[in-house]
Amino acid sequence: MTEIHNKQLSRREALLWIGKVGGSAAMLQAAGLFGLFATPVQAQAELVKLKPLTSGPKTVLILGAGISGLVAAYELGKAGYHCKILEASHRAGGRNLTIRHGDFIDELGNPQFCNFDKDPDLYFNAGPARIPAHHTAILHYCREFAVEMQTFCNYNKNCYTQDDNAFAGKPVRIREYEADTRGFFSELMAKSVQAQAKLDAPFDDIDRQKLLEFCRSYGDLSSDFTYEGSDRAGYQSGGILSPGVLKKPRAFADLLQSNFWAGAMHFGELADQAAAVITPVGGMDKIVDAFLSRLAGKVQLKAQVQKVQLLPQGVEVSYWLDGQLQVEQADYCLNCIPAQLMAGIENNFPADYVAVMKALQRGKLSKIALQAKERFWEKDQIYSGISWTNQDITQIWYPSHGLFKAKGILLGAYSWDPAISDRISAMTHQQRIATAITQGAKLHPDYGKYIEQGNSVCWQRMNHMLGCGAVWSEDLLKSSFATLQAPVGAHYMVGDQVSYHPGWQEGAVRSAWYAMESIQQQEHQKQRQVAV
Amino acid sequence: MKDWILYCALFAVLFSATVQAETFHTDAQYCLVCHGSNAQGNEAISAPNLAILPDWYLSSQLQAFQSGWRGHQSTDAYSKEMMAVAQSMSPEDIKRAIGFIRGFQVSKTVEKVAGDVSQGKTLYQTCAACHGAAAEGNQTMGSPPLAGQYSWYLLRQLQAYRSGQRGSAEKDAAGALMKQIALSIKRDQDLTDLVAYITTLDIQKTNLQQTDIKK
Repeated sequence: MTEIHNKQLSRREALLWIGKVGGSAAMLQAAGLFGLFATPVQAQAELVKLKPLTSGPKTVLILGAGISGLVAAYELGKAGYHCKILEASHRAGGRNLTIRHGDFIDELGNPQFCNFDKDPDLYFNAGPARIPAHHTAILHYCREFAVEMQTFCNYNKNCYTQDDNAFAGKPVRIREYEADTRGFFSELMAKSVQAQAKLDAPFDDIDRQKLLEFCRSYGDLSSDFTYEGSDRAGYQSGGILSPGVLKKPRAFADLLQSNFWAGAMHFGELADQAAAVITPVGGMDKIVDAFLSRLAGKVQLKAQVQKVQLLPQGVEVSYWLDGQLQVEQADYCLNCIPAQLMAGIENNFPADYVAVMKALQRGKLSKIALQAKERFWEKDQIYSGISWTNQDITQIWYPSHGLFKAKGILLGAYSWDPAISDRISAMTHQQRIATAITQGAKLHPDYGKYIEQGNSVCWQRMNHMLGCGAVWSEDLLKSSFATLQAPVGAHYMVGDQVSYHPGWQEGAVRSAWYAMESIQQQEHQKQRQVAV
Repeated sequence: MKDWILYCALFAVLFSATVQAETFHTDAQYCLVCHGSNAQGNEAISAPNLAILPDWYLSSQLQAFQSGWRGHQSTDAYSKEMMAVAQSMSPEDIKRAIGFIRGFQVSKTVEKVAGDVSQGKTLYQTCAACHGAAAEGNQTMGSPPLAGQYSWYLLRQLQAYRSGQRGSAEKDAAGALMKQIALSIKRDQDLTDLVAYITTLDIQKTNLQQTDIKK
């Protein structure tokens, strides 16, 4: 796409430059600047519908009580299969994890208990935190279980962008940055259009006046198509009982000096991040709770799988429970264990199947949450949303709930860059909090004064996970996705890791649906064979 | 086999909120999350084979990680991970973990390593003085067994010794010696050949157990 783009623009020298800027931003985005926020696959509209089981009693062992495992147990249970979930951790939910007062954060070598005050509003979602509207599969369950939802603000113009390399490191309101950038960009475009006596290919069929009006509207240009500032940037002063005074536009060169334009500025345009996204009221784990209340007695916690053996018919799973090895057989096994861990668990799988598990890379992602004794950001006219910085903390999230309450939980750092996540995870818990405070202080003066305590979650260090969303290279997806998705006998690998959308609950649900439909097919075939 | 299961059961205390967050998990299965369900190592996690390592070496390396000899100067995330875990372990935890690991059958993953095995065999003569002719290890010299260990792990350690990320700590005498040897291997190809040869060696039946900590 970029190539075609440039080819057309090369006909007009004046616009080539714009093409380069736009093109590089587009390219960065295409290259997965946001890591796990990769281009989504088209969501399927249809919902899973399992027919009631008619081929006699069937048992299913589900390894892992994350979203895919919970979905599988719920749907298969409804269809008449006997399901049991073995979960290695002390809790269900997998990476759907909401951290509140007293919760145990099971990080290898760095275990913590959440030290937030006991208050229903004082929590953070350490894993998924928002659901876009086109994630219809996970939303199907939110609807079915009547999980109370609210909108989640991903993009707020009153938040800041801060870059050590621009504006002397001082934070700038996103509204100001965007208004000025658009203004200059539009002016440049308008000027180049005006400079041509006649538009030639590929613009020769475009109404020149309309193009100019588009520029004016897009950048809030003055009558002579220049950018002289805009109230979109926020007034310098006045505006209510006295005339509003516009802010002086910042120099375009300074705006480009910041790397905000290279990705963060377009974050709210991404397919999975664009407004409006939603989230359960009270924490993402309300979805887990809703499943668990429907799966009473089916989830065995602290059961760590030791061995998975394919049998001529069915599967045998050995697992540790209370220091004892237990062995259980089932007609089917849905395995949601992270591939990188399954690669180390004894099995008799085909070599090419295990090779894919080994080839998948551990996703590295870290979040640091801070309890503020006062919602100082609200006094700074920030109600929810995300500020951006080029420091390691990358983002600061202001809560979308609990407005005007006494305290609040900020997400003081959120990085999906593996190198940053390695740096954060190598720190002690105290160092992480201190780092989050020091870096956050570049966006909010006296930041540290407000922070009472903090908690951190580095997914690549979490026990029984050792990674966030699986990292598939493009080549590996092409060569091996089908291998990992296909059943090996009665054994299926599932979870967001077996989707083109790792790191999202939608991938987990759809993967489970895919496996269950395949099981239904296997049952159907067996019945037909018996009938013949 | 049964006595160590019993041993684990004795020590398996269910986790409760009253347990201090600073303490190591009371179940030694903790080790298996990364190092594989039989302590045989896991390439996907870059975790080495522990089952082939004798008690004395496991103990000395856990202490090395605790004291920061290993991991502290390192730039690789893996040794930092292990350092964090080791530093959360008490002496009792270490004993328990080693006793638990001892219960597993020693096994080796067959690997195909691109390298000149005969050249590697020649180079290995230097190593044999400390690590033994069959790479079975030598406690007196502080040299671990190498046979049965993963090629990628051996290679990374050789590189860590060469770069000084390992073997530079003042009190790490065995490490300092290994560092000198590693520095004498000049060519990267020699490292590969050496590792290719070592991976052809069978695991030796030696007594991995040093003490009777299982009882």
